[in-house]
Amino acid sequence: MVIVMQEGATDEQIQHVIDRIVASGFDVHRSTGASHTVLGAVGVHRDFDHRDFELLPAVREVVRITQPFKLASRQFKPQGTVIDLGRGVKIGGPEVVVCAGPCSVESREQILAVAEAVSKAGAKIMRAGAFKPRTSPYAFQGMGEKGLQLMRDAADEFGLFVVSEVMDPSQIKMMSNYVDIFQVGARNMQNYFLLRALGEVQKPVLLKRGMSATIEELLLSSEYILSGGNYNVILCERGIRTFETYLRNTLDIAAIPVIQKLSHLPILADPSHGTGRRDKVGAMARAAVAAGADGLLIEVHNDPDHALSDGAQSLDPTQFAQLMSEIRIIAPAVGRRVA
Amino acid sequence: MNISDWRSRMDEIDKKLVELLNERSQCALEIGRIKQELGMPIYQPNRENEVLSNAARNNKGPLSDGAIRRLFERIIDEARSAERLAMHGEVSKDEKGSK
Repeated sequence: MVIVMQEGATDEQIQHVIDRIVASGFDVHRSTGASHTVLGAVGVHRDFDHRDFELLPAVREVVRITQPFKLASRQFKPQGTVIDLGRGVKIGGPEVVVCAGPCSVESREQILAVAEAVSKAGAKIMRAGAFKPRTSPYAFQGMGEKGLQLMRDAADEFGLFVVSEVMDPSQIKMMSNYVDIFQVGARNMQNYFLLRALGEVQKPVLLKRGMSATIEELLLSSEYILSGGNYNVILCERGIRTFETYLRNTLDIAAIPVIQKLSHLPILADPSHGTGRRDKVGAMARAAVAAGADGLLIEVHNDPDHALSDGAQSLDPTQFAQLMSEIRIIAPAVGRRVA
Repeated sequence: MNISDWRSRMDEIDKKLVELLNERSQCALEIGRIKQELGMPIYQPNRENEVLSNAARNNKGPLSDGAIRRLFERIIDEARSAERLAMHGEVSKDEKGSK
């Protein structure tokens, strides 16, 4: 922690701050500059609230140096994390892994049709929800366990892995029978109870960024899972709320290179939720791959106009295949490849 | 004298500096133990100011008073740190602690 005193701070004011640093148990490195005195506090632990020092008289600024997260930080694992799902599918390696599927499982026919279409186009993982966190309680809430069974059957038939959203710790045991990856939705990013519970399983967790969450908050949420012993965490940028409301969310593309520097965890992009509009998904998916994303999460429906949820942002199979062919060209430009 | 002559001279002086700094630090450790017995606080701003004024008063150059002050601030910082470790009976570990 570095404390910058105001210009003209008196000796007494500086001494008071030194006194407080020493009383907190830290060492002090004092540096008298041309116009400001700078005090370095050495040995400050991660959860120390530096704001206490901001309030002291004549303090101009307090800068925290240690990052609040540890297990998620790139320093902890400089070589990066690669999550091996099996059958040669690895997230965080040279391959850009695409997860595709409908927003919700709606019927056996629907999920089979989408599974076939996405696997043929090159997706490796199928996404679909059986428990939907709809904003309105009157909207379709998902098929539940039956939906998970249908999804598992369809995935097995076409050689896909399964990722689906878990809403509550009580569902974890049941869902373990159906999913290969647990998804934590944006609205649950700070559901610490759920995160801790997922920290105790060994299946990978796909953690989506909250719609108003900072990158630091996202990494601290991942820290909950990592510190429980589950090191298989995949992050996902899915758009954040900004003052611009033209699109549903603002896809924070810059978060991809930022997170790759701060953390060793793989980061996917979800251009479907990020834009909310089918005609914008392609451009953002291409941008995410070019920005270095480790993978994509794309909503695909065989009949988007009649989807029970999020149809407006879902691609149809033809559009998805087209997008896959485009990102196959872009990936090598950034040293990656797509199946 | 050429560069390497001056450098040798510096090396001799550095050797003495390290010895003197350690002697000084030994005093700080003893003071730390006494302070702990008497229940006195580590941080004594008046004494630190005294050390700094003494240094400035003794300064005949070519270093500026400001430069002497800054160098002594670091010496005082390390003395304070050594005292703190002595007070808590900790073995002095090389700082891997972060700011």
